[in-house]
Amino acid sequence: MSARTDTRPLFIPVVLGTVRQGRMSEHVARFVHAELAKRPGVETELVDIRELKLSNTDEGGGARDVRFTETVARADALVLVVPEYNHGYPGLLKHALDTNLKEYIHKAVGVCGVSAGPFGGTRVIENLLPVLRELGLVTVFWDGNFSSVQKAFDAEGNLTDAAYVRRLDKFFRELVWMAKVLRHGREHVALEGG
Amino acid sequence: MTETSKMVCPDCGVETNRHAEKVEYTDAGADAEGFDPALGGVLEEFHACPDCGRTHARRAE
Repeated sequence: MSARTDTRPLFIPVVLGTVRQGRMSEHVARFVHAELAKRPGVETELVDIRELKLSNTDEGGGARDVRFTETVARADALVLVVPEYNHGYPGLLKHALDTNLKEYIHKAVGVCGVSAGPFGGTRVIENLLPVLRELGLVTVFWDGNFSSVQKAFDAEGNLTDAAYVRRLDKFFRELVWMAKVLRHGREHVALEGG
Repeated sequence: MTETSKMVCPDCGVETNRHAEKVEYTDAGADAEGFDPALGGVLEEFHACPDCGRTHARRAE
């Protein structure tokens, strides 16, 4: 890898993927963001899709929030915090993701599924994977699974189960590795044919 | 394999790395400029700047 590629910190925003009132995923997103911010060589920021100014009378690039697009363009990887609503992902998260394309190509993405039940959002993660693939993102094989989220955090949003720290560390290790490798690939490994 | 013209990063002036291609399916269909009937859409290529890391896209040549 070039010296320049090595010295730039990785930028990995955490996207809170729901706008619902009373969303428990906000606790998860704040926890994930705080843990990610502790890692050396990683810069992060929390993106709340509730704050995005997305048009719902346009499509694709015409609907985009310029600041969100700039954040994704600068990113080396993304973490999506996604609640499971009736086994699916929030429609407004899909709308937000669809406003960009070239900004995603060959970048890593990891998903933290959130559910009130015991399965930690596994069904929403599985449903989201083909979308992420079509956007040009590269999914990692570790997930964050936040089961019974109403018990995992107290009313102030403090984590009540310390095991999530270690689980998240494993998730981040894989995501950072993938982000580094893909950055090198984007910048230095040419597609066949020049 | 075909050799395509080089792209230079508009921010850094450094030659970019072409790392991906993707088909774009447009509303214009076969009437779209650059439509490739074999792929069913318009081929876009994606470049990254090895200096600043930014991605740039253009229609494939």
